[in-house]
Amino acid sequence: MKMSPEYAKAQANMQPGVITSDGFLGDDRRPIVEIIAEDESKMEQLHVDFDEAAERMHRLLDEGRKGLGEPVTVDGRWIVQVYEARGFLASPFEDGIFRKVNAQVSVAENGRPGDLQLLYSELSLHLMEKYHFLQGRGSPFRLEPHRIRDVLFLQNTLK
Amino acid sequence: MENAPAIVQALVAPLSIGLISAVLGALITITDRIVNNYGDLVIDINSGKRKLEIKGGAPMLQTLAESGIFVPSACGGRGSCGACKVKVKSDVGPHLPTEIPYLEKEEIEQNVRLSCQIKVKDNVEIEIPEALFNVQEFDGVIERVRDVTHDIKEVYVKLPEGKEISFSCGQYGQIEVPPYGKVRAPTQRAYSMSSPPSDRNHLEFLVRLVPGGIVTTYVHEHLQEGQRMKVIAPFGEFGVKDTGATMICVAGGSGMAPFKGIFQHMIETGEIETREVWYFFGARTKADMFYLDWLNELDGEYEKFHFVPALSEPQEEDEWTGPTGLITEVLASYLTDQIDRSSPLEGYLCGSPGMLDACMAVMRKFDMSEDRIYFDKFA
Repeated sequence: MKMSPEYAKAQANMQPGVITSDGFLGDDRRPIVEIIAEDESKMEQLHVDFDEAAERMHRLLDEGRKGLGEPVTVDGRWIVQVYEARGFLASPFEDGIFRKVNAQVSVAENGRPGDLQLLYSELSLHLMEKYHFLQGRGSPFRLEPHRIRDVLFLQNTLK
Repeated sequence: MENAPAIVQALVAPLSIGLISAVLGALITITDRIVNNYGDLVIDINSGKRKLEIKGGAPMLQTLAESGIFVPSACGGRGSCGACKVKVKSDVGPHLPTEIPYLEKEEIEQNVRLSCQIKVKDNVEIEIPEALFNVQEFDGVIERVRDVTHDIKEVYVKLPEGKEISFSCGQYGQIEVPPYGKVRAPTQRAYSMSSPPSDRNHLEFLVRLVPGGIVTTYVHEHLQEGQRMKVIAPFGEFGVKDTGATMICVAGGSGMAPFKGIFQHMIETGEIETREVWYFFGARTKADMFYLDWLNELDGEYEKFHFVPALSEPQEEDEWTGPTGLITEVLASYLTDQIDRSSPLEGYLCGSPGMLDACMAVMRKFDMSEDRIYFDKFA
């Protein structure tokens, strides 16, 4: 699969130590267009729509911010904790910079955060929403399609 | 023996590649030494207050650190925190695209630079806060690590024999963790000191686990008592002003750290008996609360010290009878009818940028002057 210069540059920016110490690719050695194509296919098989998932993740991030650093229960279904650190991260596609804000969304179990969790940052949400890039296998911020579906309760939403 | 040529052939290719790689590596190293050898240079700090004789070619942040001048850096020199600013009075070239997002227009005009992004290639004059001359690097030993909640650890570091630190309550230090797992380089992060300045042979930090965080994950999953840990301290200007004004302190989570040191210091100096202090601490459930017994004791023992813990989502089993709601709501309620606002008030905040903004909005609403609200934005 051929990569455009924009994607080739993004792939170079995703290497460890360029933008973040871990990079965005984990142990995945494939070109990012292949990673994206495979994840698009997985999302379709799971009937999960990227835009709908992104919309829900934005909302949970916004609700989580209201906790001022402490966990917040949202709709009785999720416990969201938003962490903020000093500084910014540039997008590997060079289309913006993002604050270091991470959201940990847990499915609530008896008022406590359960084991079913999704961790994302403002930047990883942007990469998912705009490029359908869920990061390489082994990346700390990899968003697994089945986890997106399960944590966000998005089963069978794709028409 | 018939197979010998095949074996030799099988070995020749990898050996050749290895040899070529080694030669190329050596060439790159030699070229780097030649091309990036800027010779012996001088960094003049604050118009001759300090002059460092250094070897040129490396980033300024690293070069300064090698000479014992530690500029704060929350990301360890990776250009993602914007903390390592220095004012450069010499020409070191135009601002780089990696610096621009972190600099205000006035800073660019004054040639403020991110010291991790610019290399020292010539003699250079810089300006830094003189307080940085007091910053030291310590090769400490972890004397104690203990859980204070399910996601916050108290880390007590003993400084090397014969070494002491002088700092003010509210300042912070940078701790460094070694490479581990997929993390290939030592990594530093900044944490407020929670120990009082009187404990000159130790530093204590409160470290909250941040999912995916390199340093916090190491501290929570790998750090052992007896282990060595590099600490660079003290940094920061957050601290108690000597005005006698009523202190309105607000924190959540590991934002407790500077206040623990501040209150211990006030006990030691006796200020806790003379100065009105209100301490608002927010958490979600009782499991997220800590140091409750100690703070409640202070509240009972000292007439002017008031501790107001609040839970935003108390659970049934918490049997919580104290204030509930976000800490900003509780703060507003107390400013309405509990706190004497006829006396001068000062705000002291420690928490995430969102928490600070929300608290400042409440304080402004109650006519607290913004220039008397002091804060420590972590991390």
